[in-house]
Amino acid sequence: MTNLYAQALWTASQQEGADAKKLVKNLTEHLKEQGRLKLLPSILADLKRLDARNTKLAASVEVAHEREAPTALKEAVARGIHAEKAHVNVSLIKGWRASGQGMLIDASAKRELIELYRSITTA
Amino acid sequence: MESIIKKIEQEIASMTSVTREEETGVVRTTGDGIAEIDGLEGAVMAEMVLFDPTFDRTLESALKDAEQIYGLVLNLEEDGVRVVILGDASRVYEGMRVRRLGRLLSIPVGDGLVGRVVNALGEPVDGKGAVGASGSGTKLTPIEREAYGVMDRAPVNTPIHTGIKALDALIPIGRGQRELIIGDRGVGKTTIAIDTILNQKTEDPATRPICIYVAIGQKESKTARIVADLAEAGAMDYTIVVTAPASSPAAFQFLAPFAGATIGEHFMDQGKDALVIYDDLSKHAVAYRQMSLLLRRPPGREAYPGDIFYLHSRLLERAAKLSKEKGGGSLTALPIIETQEGDISAYIPTNVISITDGQVFLLANLFNKGQRPAIDVGNSVSRVGSSAQTKAMKKVSGKIKLELAQFRELEAFMQFASDLDEGTKKQIDAGQRMTQILNQPQGKPLAFEMEAAVIFAATNGFLDGFPAAETSAAEVRLQDFLTREAKAELKAIRDSREISDATDKALRAKLDAFAERATPVEKEA
Repeated sequence: MTNLYAQALWTASQQEGADAKKLVKNLTEHLKEQGRLKLLPSILADLKRLDARNTKLAASVEVAHEREAPTALKEAVARGIHAEKAHVNVSLIKGWRASGQGMLIDASAKRELIELYRSITTA
Repeated sequence: MESIIKKIEQEIASMTSVTREEETGVVRTTGDGIAEIDGLEGAVMAEMVLFDPTFDRTLESALKDAEQIYGLVLNLEEDGVRVVILGDASRVYEGMRVRRLGRLLSIPVGDGLVGRVVNALGEPVDGKGAVGASGSGTKLTPIEREAYGVMDRAPVNTPIHTGIKALDALIPIGRGQRELIIGDRGVGKTTIAIDTILNQKTEDPATRPICIYVAIGQKESKTARIVADLAEAGAMDYTIVVTAPASSPAAFQFLAPFAGATIGEHFMDQGKDALVIYDDLSKHAVAYRQMSLLLRRPPGREAYPGDIFYLHSRLLERAAKLSKEKGGGSLTALPIIETQEGDISAYIPTNVISITDGQVFLLANLFNKGQRPAIDVGNSVSRVGSSAQTKAMKKVSGKIKLELAQFRELEAFMQFASDLDEGTKKQIDAGQRMTQILNQPQGKPLAFEMEAAVIFAATNGFLDGFPAAETSAAEVRLQDFLTREAKAELKAIRDSREISDATDKALRAKLDAFAERATPVEKEA
């Protein structure tokens, strides 16, 4: 049940023009009326979990070097992943990586080298 | 070293810049071998996924821990999936990336598996290296497969000889049949299964079935002893062992029987015969219950999930005798179920009894009395029956069941032996002799022609000259005698699979000689 409240609150907060203060006030009054105010801490925990989940699944673009950012962002948009900016992740060695909409697009040298290592070391 | 350098050079030469596009999710929570994953909305039931331990790490640290961890999707939920981890669950952490592999769980199967010990994923665990030549000669085959339909099957009409007289005479098993072995702990269920495997050594290599022994939730020491015994007897030349010991995750114990069935079907589809033993399905049901409860599936009777029947029915239905059009191969299944206090009316035993084509019921009190195998002939049955017997065995075993049933009724009167008429005493003696004849030591299966000859001798009175209590010793002498002096008759039975009139006459002559040669001390006055 708390999950449903959290989900409803989350969905409402994502709509354009949503007023966070008003949403929380309405929720609290509703819970008081129903005699379910004690659920508020659990609703908060579920909401934090939802927020963390959506942050993890949010669109992101990583590049090995700053100069690769424009190409990476363009390629990501072509594949349906819209990120505002690209973050530098030197562990990629070369290339870029984008995730979002449940997809991962990996054009980094790091991935290639790991796959090369696996194909050499497995029989 | 040179070959390694060469391989690296080849790999680098073939390297091209690749952009990989994959559907991924993120681990939300993990514990008890189960991971809850956010995302993977396109995942299908029983799809394999890959946990990627390298995503958030530098290249150097990633290469130190690059071994992949597989998972199996078993729950599809509104905002994600639940996955059973098929590997080291301690390496899976919250926030880990998971990607779909786009294929159902598959294991490598091939002729190279014969003689090997593998785990539920088909990976060798016997320390003898990759299966086949560098893993070649195997192909990935889905572990779940729909059983053959009615029109693709043929009637079961070829016996699979267990080498155990009581079974081959009274509860014959055919190739393509499912015969359940059921009883309490320590009554000889595994012994019957292993003796069946050992006895296949006496079969013609052209028709010898490939044997697959699936150890589910067993002690590793027990499985090791079984493998050693099979190897010593030369049975590993046609046997594959699939092991998911008690220490392995419940997921492996759940998958092991399906792996065994998949391997058996590989040989069946080639037109060969295969025998698969599931030891035991009680532990399989417990492992599936554990997994289902961790996956938050609703518990039913005795906390088993609602589809526990379907778990075993779809597994056992894969045993079949195929039609000529489909190659004529067969997969025979010998599932084993352990009962508690002899209760065959419990949930899982009744489920499996209703699925199989008969059961061999072993009783603890018979075992303790020294009757081994401790088969309760009254409650045991083979629904295929004499269709799965050679003509030779049919000829000699026809009357045994009735005689034994009459003997059981008279047993209660044995304490009044001195007050019984001659006819009743004779019947009791005959019953005692037959019971002793059906006893057999562990690890000593007999070729079917020897079984037929011994039972022929017993049912035709050639052992009546020996005291009833010494029938077992007399049988040992009889087997020695037949091996030395009745080779032609045994060969005739083996080749023709029946006791013809000529063989009957010749065998009687030899058995007369045997009976006469027994010393006067050994005979009754």
